[in-house]
Amino acid sequence: MANEYILRMGDGERISMTREQIIADLREGSADAADLGDIPELSGDELDKLADIIMDSNRIVSVEPGMQVPVTHDIGTLRIDGDQGNSGVGIPASRLTGCMMHERGFGADTMELGHIDYSFKPVKPVIAQEQQAMEVCQENMTIPLLYGAMPNLGLYYTPDGPFENPGDLLKAFKINEARESIEHAGDHATRDMTWIMQHLQKVGCDGVNFDTIGAAGDGDFYASLYSIKALREEFPDIYIEAGMAGECTLGMHGELEFEGNVLAGLWPHEQVPLAEEAGANVFGPVCNTNTSKSSAWNLARSVTFTKATVSASNIPCHVNMGMGVGGIPMFETPPIDAVTRASKAMVEVAGVDGV
Amino acid sequence: MSDAIVSCKKDQVLAAVEKARGELEAPDIIENGLAAGMNEVGTLFERGKLFLPHVMMAAEAMQAGVDELKGDMPESSDKAASVIVNGTVEGDVHDIGKTIVSTMLQTAGFEVHDIGRDAPVADFIAKIKETDANMVGVSALMTTTLPGQKEVIEALEEEGLRDKVKVMVGGAPATNSWAKKIGADCYAENATEAVSKAKELLL
Repeated sequence: MANEYILRMGDGERISMTREQIIADLREGSADAADLGDIPELSGDELDKLADIIMDSNRIVSVEPGMQVPVTHDIGTLRIDGDQGNSGVGIPASRLTGCMMHERGFGADTMELGHIDYSFKPVKPVIAQEQQAMEVCQENMTIPLLYGAMPNLGLYYTPDGPFENPGDLLKAFKINEARESIEHAGDHATRDMTWIMQHLQKVGCDGVNFDTIGAAGDGDFYASLYSIKALREEFPDIYIEAGMAGECTLGMHGELEFEGNVLAGLWPHEQVPLAEEAGANVFGPVCNTNTSKSSAWNLARSVTFTKATVSASNIPCHVNMGMGVGGIPMFETPPIDAVTRASKAMVEVAGVDGV
Repeated sequence: MSDAIVSCKKDQVLAAVEKARGELEAPDIIENGLAAGMNEVGTLFERGKLFLPHVMMAAEAMQAGVDELKGDMPESSDKAASVIVNGTVEGDVHDIGKTIVSTMLQTAGFEVHDIGRDAPVADFIAKIKETDANMVGVSALMTTTLPGQKEVIEALEEEGLRDKVKVMVGGAPATNSWAKKIGADCYAENATEAVSKAKELLL
């Protein structure tokens, strides 16, 4: 019987595969990314390296000495005290305590403060509270502390906001009305996100993480890029991280542009030049996990997309790694064997600057 | 015909239907022309080459083409082969993916009743009874609302409907394993797969 290696399906299920099966899945995954993104497939050496990482006999793997990269956390404080049936561990702790645990206990190289709703819009009425929390955190911490939230254009549409829901309008074949609604929401979100960060900069915030850009489609990307541009013009020295929601920008509108570039249908290597042009310091590419494929297929696909993004970028790329992205299984608490293998592959093969 | 659908222009589709109806039977025009074109639209959408407004324009154009052919259809084909109720579970306001699935199922020939987002279990059951549906699509986009899919299945069992209604689950945190665990009949990764799984189970 051939030697078999333990790995995962995209939904986290443990499976075993032979070396030949793993190599075949790696090739297919890389080819899928290359076909969709019109980018180069991984080379034979790179596929061999991925195979070695996957077949490593250790449960946990790490990068080779000298290849360590910064690790950035998003809304980590909520994972300490959150307990809503998700990955929160339910330990009562303030946001200050959560941030400091990440800095001093978990080795985070940067951290962010975020509101429980984790979208920009709900921060507006509690901006004074957020300013106070940011100021106290900054007084107690050393590592760069950003403010993080989702652009979440969905909150600008009915029933949560003033503009008609483009999903409903599209269903009624009201295409022009849907597009107008997205444009209005985009302009309001741009103004809100910029206003919120102007206020947080007054209390010593180190910068901003736009997290899950594009979750509500190209309008979401549009608002984020124009807000990044406005903030960069006003605050030349702040850190701005642009982290995406998915691998391809969903065209809810289809014709929105940033500086003459249509935003819909862009893949990670096409997104990063726009983030850079807007003024972001760091880009967070995303590649989605297919739960019906093996972790070998998913990892090769993610690494192929991410490598092309790193090649196309003049700013650091901190790849999104977590539940259902970056070759990691779609599982509430992703298995550590898959997480560490995917992280090592991203650093050593895709060449990312951070995780 | 397919090219006319991919153009997303209603007038081009109607012109193509008019041209084809003298040469082909109506069911043939729908299946091999209009529906084939919508499949191509779905593929282009997933590849980031066409966008949601285009999908909706193509769907509207296809519907106009089907309406035009209604009078030519054999009587036995008046009723849709299968009826599907589709919705997002209560507590979850995510709508876009589910709407795309509804559109693609509809254009594949299914009679689809989309009950929207944040839909209570009772609404799923009521619509299934009202439409005599033989499949329900249950979407959830958050780990915290995923159990809503299981609740719909449990309600179907309580109502004695489970044997006649197939259950399809989908949404970002849903997986094959989850579908098996809660006793769903299938899991679909995306809209195209939703159509092929529905066809496998219902046709």
